[in-house]
Amino acid sequence: MNPTDSKTNPGQVNRRQFLRDGGRATAVASLGGLLGMVLGRSQAEGYVWQIDPSKCVYCGNCATHCVLEQSAVKCVHAYAMCGYCQLCTGYFEPEPNALNTGAENCQCPTAAIQRTYVEDPYYEYTIDEDLCIGCAKCVDGCTRFGNGSLFLQIRHDRCVNCNECAISKVCAGDAFVRVPASQPYLLKTQH
Amino acid sequence: MNPHATFLSRRHFLRRSAEAAVIGGVAAPLLGQGAEAAASRFAYDVERFTKTDPQWLRYDPDGRFPTPRPQAKRISIGPGGRFYIAAQDKVCVVDLAGTLEATLSLNDVARCAIAGEDGLVYAATRNRVVVFEAGGREKLSWEVPGPKAWVSALALVGDSVLAADSGNRVIWRFDLSGKVLGRIGEKDQEREIPGFVVPSPYLDVEPGKDGLLRVNNPGRHRVELYTLEGDLELFWGKASAGVGGFCGCCNPIAVAALPDGRCITCEKGLPRVKIFALDGAFEGVVAGPESFPQNARIGSGRNPVDGTLGGLDATVDARGRVYVLDLVASEVQIFKPKTVS
Repeated sequence: MNPTDSKTNPGQVNRRQFLRDGGRATAVASLGGLLGMVLGRSQAEGYVWQIDPSKCVYCGNCATHCVLEQSAVKCVHAYAMCGYCQLCTGYFEPEPNALNTGAENCQCPTAAIQRTYVEDPYYEYTIDEDLCIGCAKCVDGCTRFGNGSLFLQIRHDRCVNCNECAISKVCAGDAFVRVPASQPYLLKTQH
Repeated sequence: MNPHATFLSRRHFLRRSAEAAVIGGVAAPLLGQGAEAAASRFAYDVERFTKTDPQWLRYDPDGRFPTPRPQAKRISIGPGGRFYIAAQDKVCVVDLAGTLEATLSLNDVARCAIAGEDGLVYAATRNRVVVFEAGGREKLSWEVPGPKAWVSALALVGDSVLAADSGNRVIWRFDLSGKVLGRIGEKDQEREIPGFVVPSPYLDVEPGKDGLLRVNNPGRHRVELYTLEGDLELFWGKASAGVGGFCGCCNPIAVAALPDGRCITCEKGLPRVKIFALDGAFEGVVAGPESFPQNARIGSGRNPVDGTLGGLDATVDARGRVYVLDLVASEVQIFKPKTVS
């Protein structure tokens, strides 16, 4: 084709024009899509999912039913409620051989709880959220025997805020609730 | 090829549908069980500790009665054979059959109450001891020192009132007017006293006829025996979910002394009442978790309030019968020693 054909024939489009127009169209479409997404999300951004700790029955479904590869549900720790126990039932198996960090004595399946000596006989327990899978085994032990300072929350730096949370559909305690995005956590503060 | 092989009559269709429905009906619950089993792989399993081996049972149940008010916290038995039960903002005076005889009112939640030989009743709120005359009129009261005062038990020894303060982790010794005479059980390296470890408000004190005070030290999983002057004479106990130890993070939560000096202990989490000899040797079980089904569910996921709302308290009469207050079921269960055949 003669490159001057488009000048002589206004109905025809050369490759450069085609690419330029195509690029513009793509940009407009992308912008439109982005705008649509922002508008769509802005309606949902008013509320996010959260776990009501007073309803949670530590069924374990949070670890296995989140759409993410590693659940967005994590164990969190209300330090003000914690007894800093030497024998923490959130950390140790019900009948440990010894009160040390041996894997056979610890109940967390991913070793996500760190135990740090404070002073005799007190120890501090810290959750490593990168390792925590939200199985709630520690929550069960802490709540049964102790003060219930360990509990589950959806971490919003990970949660993708699905319209219908997959865990909420199988939550045994019906503990999943929608909360204002401005106050996204339901924290325990007292017994 | 048989043309009828792929043809499905209406009768066949209905029959196969019915068969499919039956198979589906049988399979669905099984699949559901599988899903449940998969979910429960993270369970904190203490089921094996909830059954008491009958060879350890030393007592038989001998009746029960409900507490006059819910949310009861402590029980004691007075000189006239009456129970003093602290519940809500009242002290309920109850006869041995469970009939309410009188009610004493406080301005705050009643944590515990005891009665003296002189007919006076001593009750405690979180940070105050209140003394009532026999007729129910308030005689005097005093504040328990310390910013974190949380009185969880009272005892009377001669002219001393002992108040177990979970918040300040000490047993206060007052005279009958409320003047501080001493502090028992505080951490003291020179006297080789390690101090109380009390993660939740369950510090108890009980005098024995040998003059020694039995005090639970729940964070250290043991019972400690002190003189009235505050010397630590003896301690015993070990952490274990097994029948001979104290389970969980912080047990025992209450103690009582039998007339012969042996000790009765109460636990939460796995609600158990047990007997220990003078030297701390495990002797047997008064009542296991089977006797307190509601209490055993506390914090277990079937009743997800935390363990601080569960628990038991016990008191003992002159015949060695044990009266156990179930804080969850709001009832008193009576246990009598088994007769030896």
